[in-house]
Amino acid sequence: MLPHSKIKIQNSMTPPLQSSKRSLVMNASTSRLRRLGGLLGQGFLFSVTSLSTLTVFFIFYFIAKDAFPFFKLEGFREFFTSTRWYPSGDPAEFGTMAIFFGTGIVTLGAVAVSVPLGVSAAVCLSDVLPFNARQIVKPVIEILAAIPSVAYGFFALVVFAPLLQNHGGAVLAAGACLMMAPLLVLLVVVASDLIADRCSDLMRRKARWVAGLVLGAAAFTLMTYIGRQLGAIEIASGANALNVSIILGIMALPTVVSVSEDALQAAGRDLREGSYALGATRAETILKTVIPASLSGILAAVILGVMRAIGETMVVWMASGNAARIPGPWYNVLEPVRTLTATIAGDMGEADHVTGSSRFHVLFAMAFCLLAFSFVMNLVSEGIVRRSRKKLGK
Amino acid sequence: MRLKTRRLLDRAFSGMGLIAIGVMALALVVILTPIISKGTGAFVFRSTIEHRKVMSDHWGRGNADRVEKAKGQAAAARKPVYDLLSAFESELDTMPRAERKPYKKPLRDLQKALQNLLGPAPGARTPVLIRQQYGATRWDRAKIKLDEVLYTEEWDYSNPEVLGVLVKTPRVEQFCGTKLEPLFAYVEENSKPMMQPRWTFYWQFLFDTSKDSHIFGGIGPEVLGTVYLTLGAMIFAIPMGVIAAIYLCEYAREGRVISFLRICISTLAGVPSIVFGLFGLAFFLNTIHISDSKSVLAGALTLSLLILPTVIRASEEAILAVPRTYKEAALSLGAGRWHTVMTVILPAALPGILTGIVISMGRAAGETAPIIFTAAVSVGRPLLPSQVLSNPTPALPWNIYNLCTEHEAVDEIRHVQFGMVFTLVAVVLLLNVVAIIMRAKISKKLRG
Repeated sequence: MLPHSKIKIQNSMTPPLQSSKRSLVMNASTSRLRRLGGLLGQGFLFSVTSLSTLTVFFIFYFIAKDAFPFFKLEGFREFFTSTRWYPSGDPAEFGTMAIFFGTGIVTLGAVAVSVPLGVSAAVCLSDVLPFNARQIVKPVIEILAAIPSVAYGFFALVVFAPLLQNHGGAVLAAGACLMMAPLLVLLVVVASDLIADRCSDLMRRKARWVAGLVLGAAAFTLMTYIGRQLGAIEIASGANALNVSIILGIMALPTVVSVSEDALQAAGRDLREGSYALGATRAETILKTVIPASLSGILAAVILGVMRAIGETMVVWMASGNAARIPGPWYNVLEPVRTLTATIAGDMGEADHVTGSSRFHVLFAMAFCLLAFSFVMNLVSEGIVRRSRKKLGK
Repeated sequence: MRLKTRRLLDRAFSGMGLIAIGVMALALVVILTPIISKGTGAFVFRSTIEHRKVMSDHWGRGNADRVEKAKGQAAAARKPVYDLLSAFESELDTMPRAERKPYKKPLRDLQKALQNLLGPAPGARTPVLIRQQYGATRWDRAKIKLDEVLYTEEWDYSNPEVLGVLVKTPRVEQFCGTKLEPLFAYVEENSKPMMQPRWTFYWQFLFDTSKDSHIFGGIGPEVLGTVYLTLGAMIFAIPMGVIAAIYLCEYAREGRVISFLRICISTLAGVPSIVFGLFGLAFFLNTIHISDSKSVLAGALTLSLLILPTVIRASEEAILAVPRTYKEAALSLGAGRWHTVMTVILPAALPGILTGIVISMGRAAGETAPIIFTAAVSVGRPLLPSQVLSNPTPALPWNIYNLCTEHEAVDEIRHVQFGMVFTLVAVVLLLNVVAIIMRAKISKKLRG
């Protein structure tokens, strides 16, 4: 407001300027017009902004509008408690327990893949790698995030599923050994060191060697045993929960990495320097100081990763096998499952012609559950991030 | 704990991080390698004479004389095969009925396998389907078809404890001691003269329409459909997104309303893509009837809602990254707020905004779930720009799904599927590389 009032004062004091063609100084009516124009413009900007953001309400309204007729027609009980999904049967059955379960197990698998990998990668990015190396790794993450989901699904269906089906045991064994080997080596070294610490000074060196050898042999036997056991497994169908979990985990990685890296960065330098000053190594600093300080941010990253996995359609539709039942023992990830998103995508083609039937509306009911879940998750992660920011004083 | 152990643990910890990053890079390589290596196979491959026939018959391509000459050479090489077949048929006629019978089915199978490899026999009636009018068009497929001529395959389920085992037996065993016996050796030795394989760069794959549900031809309509959908989505998303970002950064005062709007935006970003598809169906098509059936317009609108949060966030970041001094300088010169935004802030933020737009373009091009119910069909002609308001279109992401799950001859058209995935991934990666380079330039400019 200040510039305007000044202009007015000038205006009354220097009349000759008004005569020039494009005066630098506005008279009162132009000023008022401008201000009105500004207000109108601002109103326009505000309405466009709110229109684009209020789409969320449109989405909620229109999904709910088509979802509630289902509950009116069929009630809540069957939908949430039965595992029998026969939408085209006579009488039709709409039990979605198995489908919810499929979504759950696939998401759990994706979290199991993406969170350990993602958080360690984020730690490495924020605390270990030098700046230049980071500039190389970042595009890798961006490209992983950019590959379209249908390409991931295509890979899962055309490349990964046949591989699992034909050489399932070997793939599992190789994967498990690759993952276990570094961890076991580490474990053996640390354990033998701890044992050696308890011996007297004279014996220490020898004790370390003996303990290392014995523990190493034990670890090696364990690994070969597990490898053999896994190698004997034959996978009946490559399109199963394991396949989808791994691919979804890779898809969720970029989200987990970038959000948790932000959280680790936000923990601040002074915290790290304080810990170093007390004599802690980098690993101790990160594990005991930085990660506890940024735990809420990492939690938000996990939630966002979960949301990415739950909402994904193409990969699960193409490669999960789409069998609407709970697998043998429930934790058997080698059996096909069916998820909410895949059911919506797959059944709408047939239900489209019968708009208004419960078969059509049940898909909207599922979509509404997805929507509500992602809304709640989103609020939770937002809240966590905001609180942690306040705590860190930023 | 000893200091040495602590150091070791420290190093192991860093190593674990490095391993994680290595696994990530490895995953990227593992996923991209087959897509790129097999995807280029749709463009560069050894084509047989059949491919050249298809090209000249349906698209009028290639040097007519040379195609005729190659056809002649191939026909000459194939003649002994058909001669042997007819000799065998006349031999059959002379046999007593009881001896003739066991040859009946093997002969029919052999003829079928030969037709898959070479196309219909000369003089036979022209089949209705285009796919039956030609033999194997690609040398890699031809080799598989050749294998099917030479061997019969059967699944052996005799041992119930293991899954079925594939047993291959040479087909020649079925015709031992007949006039047909030399045919197999001949076919095996003369496969190249019969098929005339030659390296081809089929760049028209990107623009050709497909014939006989993608068995011949290219992916022109799909590419065009994806371009329409992406551009349409950008037309709606860019103005809304940029305006919203300008308002949120420059005009809005932080308060209840704004934090509410921000929550809405982040919720919109978290909505699963399939729900966007359902919303598009329920709102654009079933409620306001934007078009009678699925249409590019409905799909583009749905996609634009999907990428709106991305555009808003990227533009916001770009606007906030403009140094405050720019704005203050403009204001101190007496420019109004609007004037400042239009002449100072937007030009300075433009590269950043463009980066965000390019990334969200890649996202819009690759999304499948929102267009399933609103825009995509499996087979269609390329649309004219005037038809986009009312007609559905084939699009790359949807057709990738469709071809590798619902097509009747999935294995026959692997190269088309890989070609489509390759095209889509290449487009998206290209857009992202552009964005990465742009961002690097901006950060250099801001630093120096």
